[in-house]
Amino acid sequence: MGDVAPTRFPRGPIPARAGIGLRSAHHEDVVARHPPVAWLEVHTENYFHDGGPHCAALERIREHYPLSLHGVGLGLGSVEPLDRVHLARVRRAVEHFDPALVSEHACWGHAGGEHFNDLLPLPYTEEAAEHLASRVRQVQDFLGRQILVENLSSYFAYSASSLTEWDFLAAVVERSGCGLLLDVNNIYVNSRNLGLDAERFIAGVPGDAVQEIHLAGHRRNRVGERDLLIDDHGSEVCTEVWALYERALARLGPVPTLIEWDTDVPALDVLVSEARKADACLERIRALAA
Amino acid sequence: MRSRPDSPTLAELQSRFASALRAGNATVDEAVSGLADCIVDDGLAPARRVQVYRNNARAMFEGALERTYPVLKHQVGEAAFSGFAREYRAEHPSRSGDLHWVGRKFASWLAPRVAGSSSAWLADLARLEWACEEALVAARLEALDPAELGRVAPEILAEVGFELQPCLRTVDSLFPIWSAWRGGQAESSGEPLDLGLGPQQVVVTCGEHGLVLHSLPADEFRFVAAIGGGAPLGTALESAGLDVEQLPRVLAWLFGDGLVTALRLPANDDRGGGGTC
Repeated sequence: MGDVAPTRFPRGPIPARAGIGLRSAHHEDVVARHPPVAWLEVHTENYFHDGGPHCAALERIREHYPLSLHGVGLGLGSVEPLDRVHLARVRRAVEHFDPALVSEHACWGHAGGEHFNDLLPLPYTEEAAEHLASRVRQVQDFLGRQILVENLSSYFAYSASSLTEWDFLAAVVERSGCGLLLDVNNIYVNSRNLGLDAERFIAGVPGDAVQEIHLAGHRRNRVGERDLLIDDHGSEVCTEVWALYERALARLGPVPTLIEWDTDVPALDVLVSEARKADACLERIRALAA
Repeated sequence: MRSRPDSPTLAELQSRFASALRAGNATVDEAVSGLADCIVDDGLAPARRVQVYRNNARAMFEGALERTYPVLKHQVGEAAFSGFAREYRAEHPSRSGDLHWVGRKFASWLAPRVAGSSSAWLADLARLEWACEEALVAARLEALDPAELGRVAPEILAEVGFELQPCLRTVDSLFPIWSAWRGGQAESSGEPLDLGLGPQQVVVTCGEHGLVLHSLPADEFRFVAAIGGGAPLGTALESAGLDVEQLPRVLAWLFGDGLVTALRLPANDDRGGGGTC
């Protein structure tokens, strides 16, 4: 990645419309067709490098779309120190691509010097909230900007948790000044996997902090006598998640919304079609508010 | 909700969770034994819930290795590659939140395991694929105008060095790795590798549209490797054993493909000396 002045790219906020997650399989298509979506999001770690066709493609695409950088590898809530090399690469990507939003997850990811490269859940305790908030402050200080923190999908709940997930997130927001990236699919997955009350989550999350919404598909695994939903981002958004999204918008108002699709990535038009559905929901909310 | 007074600290929880994730070939019940008490049991055994994360950790690592070594996987088959990935992860777990680099030590890990066998070439194929991986993410600088070389005084030409693209890699082998690489592409016919083809040498570069691999004769390869290693033109020619009559063709390729980014002039050059252009 060469030194490119951020002013090379158009600036401005992410609009409260639908965007799509950009994967390398669609680089050529997006460069050639400029699909009708309002903005794009990429995984920050995919653009850590000095050069190569992926970074070059994103540079070309960035000239036409607002961008969000979404990190998956910092492991913000890990007790071990943040990886400063990784963090420096995030900063370099932020400086280079000049995104409107930068986000990470309310998770941990490394211990004993080993990285598990997964979004591992934290217990919802005062200790964990304070720890996560301090790490978010570190990152924000280092980057010189606010970041958004995303709620996770989880496959178990800790018996040590003393806070609801939404109160935990509210505490992190209050203590760090971060924003929230609300993943509605993750709320739904947790409601099915852990019995979490999705309506109370939507009602309880600090609405002013929510600056982005994620929508994605999941798959259903049969485990013993139970279904366990796996957040694999490998299918269309399900009916129940669309309904929950509409209820979230009813409370939050129009929020920039991303269609995520990371496994079994389909043709670009499928993503654009999903984004149109999200845009239709956003339009309905605007019409109701008018 | 209140946490139990004997609840483990955040550090203890992460330590126990990490043990469950890295517990190699242990059964899931063994692996989760330290964590199960910390998980709400709502009728679905904690071990089965933690197994999702164990599967994810394995799949993420293996997936990253597959993306780096698709040709090797194609050559050995899915089951054998999966076995390699499991063993390799046990010895070289991920040390970064960026999965891109997990395969960095794979070739050197594989080499002693296949040495002396009919599969010894797999280690060199892995070296070639790692070179591709590095080339794919390296910088590509502005190419030098070939006319710059024409401006160098003939009497100092042998002392001139070449800066090559950061995305250029050289891989040589006693085995036919170029043939192995081509034979392992998804569209290949799948014929077994003919080891009788002998040693092969490959230069890997990356352009705007992706990787470009060049199979070179041994003397041309040695020349490019020497130039890339910093040797001046005359030294590189001599050490490579390259016939000077072949030089124009090799240089035409290097400049034509934009692989030269600067010249290093000798220190006593009249044009300022000791610099690059």
